[in-house]
Amino acid sequence: MPRTDLSAATALCGLVLLSAVAGIAPARAQSAYKEAPPGPGDADAPGKKADNKFAGPSPFAPQAPGVNAANIPDGPPAEPGEATPAVEQIGSHPAHDDWPAYGRDTDATRFSPLEQITPQNVGQLTRAFVYHTGSKPAPGQVNKWAAETTPIKVGDGLYMCTAMNDIVKLDPATGKEIWRHEAGVKYASIPYTAACKAVVYYTSSTVPEGEPCHNRILEGTLDMRLIEVDADTGKLCEGFGYHGQVNLMKGMGESVPGFVSMTAPPPIVNGAIVVNHEVLDGQRRWAPSGVIRGYDAETGKFLWAWDVNRPDQHGEPAEGQHYSRGTPNSWATMTGDNALGLVYVPTGNSAADYYSAMRSPEENKVSSAIVALDVKTGSPRWVFQTVHKDVWDYDIGSQPTMIDFPGQDGPVPALVVPTKRGQTFVLDRRDGKPILPVEERPAPLATDVQGDPRSPTQPWSVGMPRLGLPDLKESDMWGMSPIDQLFCRLKFRRAKYEGEFTAPSVEKPWIEYPGYNGGSDWGSMAYDPKTGVLIANWNVTPMYDQLVTRKKADALGLMPIDDPNFKPGGGGAEGNGAMADTPYGIVVSPFWNQYTHMMCNKPPYGMITAIDMHTRKVLWQHPLGSARANGPWGFPTYLPLTIGTPNNGGPVVTAGGVVFVGATTDNMLHAFDAKSGKELWNDVLPGGGQATPMTYEYKGKQYVAIMAGGHHFMMTPVSDALVVYALPDGK
Amino acid sequence: MAGLYRPRKASEWATCAVAVLLILLGLPLLIMGAELALLGGSLYYVVAGAAIIAGGILMLMGSVAGAFLYLLAWLLTWPWALWEVGFDGWGLLPRLLGPTLIAVLVVLTIPVLRRLQKTSLAQKGIA
Repeated sequence: MPRTDLSAATALCGLVLLSAVAGIAPARAQSAYKEAPPGPGDADAPGKKADNKFAGPSPFAPQAPGVNAANIPDGPPAEPGEATPAVEQIGSHPAHDDWPAYGRDTDATRFSPLEQITPQNVGQLTRAFVYHTGSKPAPGQVNKWAAETTPIKVGDGLYMCTAMNDIVKLDPATGKEIWRHEAGVKYASIPYTAACKAVVYYTSSTVPEGEPCHNRILEGTLDMRLIEVDADTGKLCEGFGYHGQVNLMKGMGESVPGFVSMTAPPPIVNGAIVVNHEVLDGQRRWAPSGVIRGYDAETGKFLWAWDVNRPDQHGEPAEGQHYSRGTPNSWATMTGDNALGLVYVPTGNSAADYYSAMRSPEENKVSSAIVALDVKTGSPRWVFQTVHKDVWDYDIGSQPTMIDFPGQDGPVPALVVPTKRGQTFVLDRRDGKPILPVEERPAPLATDVQGDPRSPTQPWSVGMPRLGLPDLKESDMWGMSPIDQLFCRLKFRRAKYEGEFTAPSVEKPWIEYPGYNGGSDWGSMAYDPKTGVLIANWNVTPMYDQLVTRKKADALGLMPIDDPNFKPGGGGAEGNGAMADTPYGIVVSPFWNQYTHMMCNKPPYGMITAIDMHTRKVLWQHPLGSARANGPWGFPTYLPLTIGTPNNGGPVVTAGGVVFVGATTDNMLHAFDAKSGKELWNDVLPGGGQATPMTYEYKGKQYVAIMAGGHHFMMTPVSDALVVYALPDGK
Repeated sequence: MAGLYRPRKASEWATCAVAVLLILLGLPLLIMGAELALLGGSLYYVVAGAAIIAGGILMLMGSVAGAFLYLLAWLLTWPWALWEVGFDGWGLLPRLLGPTLIAVLVVLTIPVLRRLQKTSLAQKGIA
């Protein structure tokens, strides 16, 4: 240990001196910039904006054909339509033994009524089987893998997608592959991450029981297709779309593979498949549209579109036109509400996340918000915004959870909305009004970004415990020795930091905290409706950001994915970005010591919290994840210290009183006592457990499954193993 | 004028190495610490850096006062660390672990430095 410390200090010594000498040349702000985004009718009005190189492409300009992975013929643009009347889906009333949807049920509670595994016997869990999906990087390929998959279980099948969208059915007892549908997704179609969070189970209203495609498995793919296969055989459902597939690039206009993709399971609400998609962050202001669309679950027929800058047009764009570009995209898993006929869309930012001067008022109303769309028409019924004019990438990554909120006059249909800010909003599902108080608090306005003023206030959910730590201060900086700690203190002081809503800066870096991987990213929460306890794991991961002028961005080689010179790996979504079409590029890194790769702030970096929704009090809360696989220079320390690591992936809570969560960068699956939060059991996985686990019962035995796919951004080992646990026989 | 001593024995070489180490560690503390102080941050690092460098130079000159200067800086680091972060283990780690390990090395040099000083004084006496 002394030796390590000394060598660390000495090595740092030299590096630190070098960096101090080299310095960081401050970037200078460009001249003032103001431009309204283009809208139909005025985008290319002659003489008006023709001289502006930042103007967007006209929606009426001819567009090159989009990506269409399966060569599906497009046909003429479709008018809005009505969904085939649907039968009730099992997701609404799951069988006791099943886990039929990504969030276990359509409410997305991640609560299982199973109680065979209890705090008393969970310590005896052993591996029942390990299934290998076969999807991982081939030699020579840049690792972009993070499967993030949660299998679903219905009856005699465990259904899941692989990171590259093959659909498989497994025997729930042995993991034996019963069938596999090969989706044929190509490496080039991987956006930021090869992920497939889950498949969707659908029971047909028109095909009788016993015939093929009565029960179907639906998925959205990385290369923008909807695929429906028969749940028994894995064969494409001929009656759906074009021989079982729908081309989601229709109407999207110009794009390249990997620019837009689906990684989240699309909910089916009253017969309508609601489709959202990820648009790669940080590429260009006029990236492909973030349009939300409805398709008929029976036939794959187009139903409606919600296109932010074409609010009154719900049909597909006319020939040669396209959905409005650069609008907020939604990449999180949506939640469907059959009773109210709504789908709750967690939205992200308009394209070019860190610069808001070119966004339309319509975009500003719906970005980083929950938008409740009517699944019959695609029109918004209400909107609740969690960040005004977001330039911090605080987009909503988690799936909201529907609960019966224990109100004074009986239960209220509520939506629990986790955010990256660590603010948890609780809304009335009927009108989007907050059930628990939300305060608009002043936010800092100082910025050197010309013509891009910030919102004077931001919303805070003061009625819920904050899933976060107090604002950073200099003495929170950390390291192994005074020297690397000093390095971080200096980094802290050199940056602009005025709390959670520190406005972007060109002159010097700014600290973004809790950060775009902070709070609840995409893991979502678990809610036990019997006890009223909400379980949430969350992150404390500040980022170090700086806007750079276009000249500097060019010098750094930042270019958008659709640039002919773009090289894969040269600027991902979660790092430096070209933000083409705007005056600035963005440079983003974790707020860390770039030489040791240790975070600049002191631990913990990840926590888990249980909240009683009756009283909104924290029942227990502690750091999540150990230091065993983490350390300076990426070396594992093997220390069994619970330091609290960054974590991606949600929790599961069972009636047996056990909370299961993987997520952490120690590559372990953890089991906690739901009552006390005490860690009862853990197991080292073959790869990073960056996925939400699930549990099911089959032939009288309870199983716990987690995809140990790893995560390239979390720097956890990649694997293709689905690991499934059960109690030993006879226990 | 006091010059640098010429190490002859292994223990003297080791003492010299510790002194050089102090200077090497003190320099970044002094340089970055000065910038931190100018930016309105903690004054501890620039002061500690200066003290450690001075201690190292004195030790190179064969003075036991150099070792005591380091140990004084180390001793005063404790109340400072506790004032900044209290009894938070993670917070105390970077502030105290490394300096304490080096303090052990510095303590080991005291007998060597004492002997060197005596020799030097004796030589001066003869001269």
